[in-house]
Amino acid sequence: MKIKSLTKFVWLWLACVFLMVAFAEQIVWATFGEEEEKPRPEFTRQDKKITAKLLPRAKSTSVSIDFEVSGAELIDVQGMDFEKAARPEVNHKDFKSALFIIEMLADSPGAEAKVSVSSDFFIRSTQFWIFNQKLETPWMNTGAQNLDHPEHVQELVIKVKDGGPFDSDMNADGRITIIGGPKDSFWGYALGTLFIRYFGIFIVLSILMLGMIFSGKIFQHLEDKKTKATSKPAALTVQVEKAEKPEVADEGITAEMATAIAAALHLHFSGSRASQPMSVSSLRPTAWAQQGRAQTIGERLMMYHRNKR
Amino acid sequence: MSWDYVLELITNILVTQTGIPNLLFKQVIMMVVAFFFLYLAVAKRYEPLLLVPIGFGIFLVNFPLAPLMGYSEHGYPELLRAFYKYGVEWEIIPPMIFLGLGAMTDFGPLIANPKTLIVGAGAQLGVFITYIGTLFFGFTLKEAASVAIIGGADGPTTIYLTAKLAPQLLGANALAAYSYMAMVPLIQPPIMRLMTTSAQRRIKMRQLRPVSAREKLLFPLIAAILIILLIPAVAPLMGMFMFGNFMRECGVVKRLSDTAQQSMMNIITILLGLSVGATMKAEVFLSWKPLLIFGFGLLDFIVCTFGGILTVHIMNLFVKEKVNPLIGSAGVSAVPMAARVSNSEGLKADRTNFLLMHAMGPNLAGVIGSAAAAGMFIAMFQ
Repeated sequence: MKIKSLTKFVWLWLACVFLMVAFAEQIVWATFGEEEEKPRPEFTRQDKKITAKLLPRAKSTSVSIDFEVSGAELIDVQGMDFEKAARPEVNHKDFKSALFIIEMLADSPGAEAKVSVSSDFFIRSTQFWIFNQKLETPWMNTGAQNLDHPEHVQELVIKVKDGGPFDSDMNADGRITIIGGPKDSFWGYALGTLFIRYFGIFIVLSILMLGMIFSGKIFQHLEDKKTKATSKPAALTVQVEKAEKPEVADEGITAEMATAIAAALHLHFSGSRASQPMSVSSLRPTAWAQQGRAQTIGERLMMYHRNKR
Repeated sequence: MSWDYVLELITNILVTQTGIPNLLFKQVIMMVVAFFFLYLAVAKRYEPLLLVPIGFGIFLVNFPLAPLMGYSEHGYPELLRAFYKYGVEWEIIPPMIFLGLGAMTDFGPLIANPKTLIVGAGAQLGVFITYIGTLFFGFTLKEAASVAIIGGADGPTTIYLTAKLAPQLLGANALAAYSYMAMVPLIQPPIMRLMTTSAQRRIKMRQLRPVSAREKLLFPLIAAILIILLIPAVAPLMGMFMFGNFMRECGVVKRLSDTAQQSMMNIITILLGLSVGATMKAEVFLSWKPLLIFGFGLLDFIVCTFGGILTVHIMNLFVKEKVNPLIGSAGVSAVPMAARVSNSEGLKADRTNFLLMHAMGPNLAGVIGSAAAAGMFIAMFQ
């Protein structure tokens, strides 16, 4: 009965899963939590540095990303929705902190500048990709330098040229605008962290298991020790009690009890003798014994002879 | 006062102050969904303690204009919103449930046979398989993690993680978790029979050693130290779980322990059930998502059961005293239902083979394992 119910249940769900797979393409772009998780950066400026504070995708804590420029003047940094730059060749999930529009003024038309984007959210494999819709392939890797800094901060350094392919307007007009963002492999992270965390559970529970086995051994050892310790003094106590009890018995015993004990002892011992009955026939009294018996009997009988008493 | 005025007044009252003209078809559908869960709870006795308040929560929250899940004009949360906000959103209720569970739990079988902890870890296989599966269907990483934890078969852990990572999926996830937990006797046995031979099902295990009161007392402290040091993110759940268990085992706070096990647990269960049910408003719930979640939840349970039994098979390659693989399925948590299923399957194979106490070890390990998995996911997003 249960198997039948389960079979029905499983078929129902298989049908549902089939439908889901059939419509997967539509479902993939269903909003789900994308809207909730969309990064919404807030910018603050401090001298030549602009800092974006945001809650990236797949994070529960906010991060800061610093933007600085050398060889040009940083005018502004803004956030940008990915939808405007969405192309089939890129996955928006790879851009966890979304896209930024970085605007700067070059020292001179056609000049080069270095854009520095740094955060402790980046890792060594983080890249910086640029979107330029004027190009045939709008998305490209800038090949940014990824530099290590203390406290896990990684700095991405991107070389841009006024009017170059990274410049959105591609005009050498003294104004450089780049649209892009840091990119990490979504699936690489998802699969990598999956294995690490699954085996992490094994490691955690194995450590707990070892801890429990170890503590269990200690407890068992202590219990054994306690049992032994309690059994030994018990034997000693019994001996001591044996030695001491007669005194208590002398003090506490009544006459009746003493009589009873004596009678019991007598019966016990006489009983044991009685259990080995003497064979009368085997007794062959010697002459000396016969004389002794006669004398004893004669002495006992004397009392019945008043005259001789 | 003219008739027109009176009619307008009546119309205004009907439209703005009564629910009938505002009742939408999708709300009626949600009420039917609520009745379905109430039916499961009352007639079928599927997790009634949770499904009754959840079902009633769904029922209540789908009435039009009912001041239950919104905010008042002054910004104060309405009744069910208050339960949800301060209980679930503030992450108070799930740890409190863990406190009660800890006070109810006797860790003796796990302490007597710590090797079963590995089974609890192996049974988390489905969690990670589902995590990947949901990502293919467009779930975000946070959503995938919250759906995946359903396979851990631990209601409070599912609610805790979902409320933290993907609150928009709370209703569907909680319902899927509790529904499948109730259906453990239906889902697990075929998989158990499929993955074991008759001879393996008849394996008799040595009686567990007695565990001293002192050992039971120190267990929550040792476990808390090791687990929280390794996964600090799980401290709210594990800390409360071990605290509850310490209260139980220390024996000097019987009143507190009793309260945690009974009165507090009952109150919290009511609040939790209503809060979860209240998240399932028609406009949120009626979409593909719950169906996907229910589908993946089932897959999750199946793979977790498979993982637990597989782990025992692997363990048997290395241990001298063979372990009955039927206890592997108990690693999915769902205390004590999964252990009972192991026991009943063992008895079917051999009427003298009682596996209940042996299965309680992996069952409890499953609780710790699913909480550890939740901690891993939380840490992943920090």
